Amino acid sequence: MTVADNKKSRVGSIARACKIVKRMSPNANKSELCYYDLLTTYYTRLQEAEQNGKFIAAHTVFFPVEILYAMDLVPLHTESTMMISTLFLGNQSDYLAAGSELKLAPEICSAHRSLAGAYALGALPRPDVMLWSNLICDNSAKSGELLSQLNHCPRFFLEHPFGDSPEEEKYLIAELEDLISFLEEQSGHKMNWDRLSEYIANMNQEIALFLEVQELRKAVPSPFYNRGYLEFLAADYLFPGQPEAINYLQIVRDELADLVKQGKGAVQPEKFRIMSLFVPPLYLIGSLDKIFQENGAVSVTEPFFNYWPEFKLDPAKPLESIAKKFMFTPERRMMYGPLGDTTINELIKCAKDYKVDGAVYYAYIGCRQTCATIKLFKDVLNKIDVPVLTLDIDLIDPTVNTQSEIQQKLEQFFELLQDR
Amino acid sequence: VKSELLEKFREVNNTFPQTQEIQEYKKQQRKVIGWLCTYVPEEIIHAAGALPVRITGYNHEVELEDGTAYMYINNCSFSRSCLQLGLRGEYDFLDGIAGGSTCDGARRLFDLWRYYLKPSFYHVLTVPRKTHERAHQLYHSQIAEFKNHLEASLGVTITDKALLNSIQLYNESRSLLQELYELRKLDEPLITGAETMEVMNASFRMSKELFNKYLREFIQELKTSGQGQKCRARLMLSGSVMTNTEFIKSIEDLQVLVVTDELCNSTRYWSDPVILDGKSPLQAISDRYLDNFPCARMYPSDERFNRIVSLARDFKVDGIISQIIRYCVSYAHDVPLISDRLKREEIPILFLDVEYGTSGTGQIRTRVQAFLEMIEAKKK
Repeated sequence: MTVADNKKSRVGSIARACKIVKRMSPNANKSELCYYDLLTTYYTRLQEAEQNGKFIAAHTVFFPVEILYAMDLVPLHTESTMMISTLFLGNQSDYLAAGSELKLAPEICSAHRSLAGAYALGALPRPDVMLWSNLICDNSAKSGELLSQLNHCPRFFLEHPFGDSPEEEKYLIAELEDLISFLEEQSGHKMNWDRLSEYIANMNQEIALFLEVQELRKAVPSPFYNRGYLEFLAADYLFPGQPEAINYLQIVRDELADLVKQGKGAVQPEKFRIMSLFVPPLYLIGSLDKIFQENGAVSVTEPFFNYWPEFKLDPAKPLESIAKKFMFTPERRMMYGPLGDTTINELIKCAKDYKVDGAVYYAYIGCRQTCATIKLFKDVLNKIDVPVLTLDIDLIDPTVNTQSEIQQKLEQFFELLQDR
Repeated sequence: VKSELLEKFREVNNTFPQTQEIQEYKKQQRKVIGWLCTYVPEEIIHAAGALPVRITGYNHEVELEDGTAYMYINNCSFSRSCLQLGLRGEYDFLDGIAGGSTCDGARRLFDLWRYYLKPSFYHVLTVPRKTHERAHQLYHSQIAEFKNHLEASLGVTITDKALLNSIQLYNESRSLLQELYELRKLDEPLITGAETMEVMNASFRMSKELFNKYLREFIQELKTSGQGQKCRARLMLSGSVMTNTEFIKSIEDLQVLVVTDELCNSTRYWSDPVILDGKSPLQAISDRYLDNFPCARMYPSDERFNRIVSLARDFKVDGIISQIIRYCVSYAHDVPLISDRLKREEIPILFLDVEYGTSGTGQIRTRVQAFLEMIEAKKK
């Protein structure tokens, strides 16, 4: 099992596609244009790293990327890259087929299947190290060994404990220390602790901005355009603690504050305030935007992703801070750790705070832990009179749903909300 | 094998979860605790004076309407099957449940069980995927917390003496099962794979005191009057949890014998004893459970692969049948890696996608038949 020996991967194509889409969107919001710039910066840097032999650290989702930046390593976010590639290049079918050839079963998350396929085809830069963790599912936990074998590169598995007891927090901090030692040994780069502290201080600013944006989105009408919340994730996934993220988040915040001041909503008139649970099919994102727009629906909150609590990190204790950030990350709270009353109460509070009329649960077939709570969350939300639509989808595989099927189900749901 | 003892094991399996022994326990006001995964140390439950039983699903393939409605179609049929039995009141006798953070299906099964079935005692352990020193320390603290929680909930004190007694009892059980498996190493094994599965299923559904008694007598019976069985090929079974003896029987009907396995309800359940070696009972238990024959969830996978190869050599198997329940993602991710490894070891492997409880359909038999022909052609 090896990677095809392509000298050039396809990350340059993603960067070019982002620039083209930006050029073709003269009327886009400033924040959306900034989002395209973020992606262009990220993938151009990767392309240059590949060309110039800089140390590339491939990593799975919810990885402490702040550490990679502080060590001057070039990160490659594997799952996000597959999603972004789907959005901008639409070439997922080839990667999925290559994943199948590796004997990866269809029930494995399509992002991970296509990722292995993309590596097998040489579509991604060959990493110098493969890093992964068990946040937030078995697919993440199990994907790294195959990827490192495909790339013949050293590997590190970062283990997150399940709970948040003091012992478990200590365990995670020690894992982070091991990660740094591993990276220093493999890359020859020393950890720059001052820089890491600086990024942690920036994270405090980021968290404050997340909270401000969350607050602004409570306004009636809600100001954030529908696909905005997915773009929003790029800041923390790709640039945590980086000036690029802060710049982007400030633009979003200012834009939303301005709209709220003017009493303008993302959709006009705003008829339905929707809670989005998990992620919609990315290959249909444009169509979904249109369907929501035409029906006066707007996603006002996404508790699995954009529901941060208030907390402060201590730049003088960078590793403790990274561990703390993980404990508070919405994805970890809602989708990973033991599901207790706290999580359920947060969901209820979220629905009430955002005055949601209904919720759409994207039942992604490759994501078992989020689908296992569909009935439970539905029961909880129904008790507070919030109807829930469940849509069976795949994130990137276009063979699972058609646009018309999803449109029909959504329109029926909006009719139901209208009748209430 | 015709044996009254084997029939007793069969009787336990056919009546589970409502077995006579469990009903008697309840009549005597004794506690019964259900456990959801082999990373939950039974010795602690036993030392607390309770009966530990493994929560399993239906013994055969059934429609999982409730399981699917509550857990969704993309969670493994084992989890859905267990939950459905719970939702339908079959496990109402339980005084509590214990689970581990072992896989997405297991942890969500625990979450839903807790929410909908509201057991009076529930505990989930953080089970590390690594086995280095730090992981051992964390797991030990988790086990200690579990012990404390159980003591508080049941109103008992779990003494070291009680733990030592439980260790001895459970090790005896492991040792007997080892002895049973030795009978499968023979050129003409004294017991079939389906019959062994019957014994294994009973092992976590009854008290170890009674199980050990029956098993000791059964092994003696096999040794004295058992007849060796010839076969076309010796196979090993690998992959997800699997409790339906009919599945193995349908394979063995093709004149082969399943002589060993790598399943969490068989070899991975009993293979490693608790070794005291001067350690505290709790430390010894914790070490055993973390270092045991690993599940596919553990990292790195090499340890599991090494043990599979070693088992295949020890039991002189001609090929491995890997049956992976749909959506059992930890095992599914290992397919390319283990294929690669076994190819290098020149051990043939057949991968089957199955549902929990499946009894071996025509399609499975056809694929196994083709696999056997390939093995036989290779032998020539």
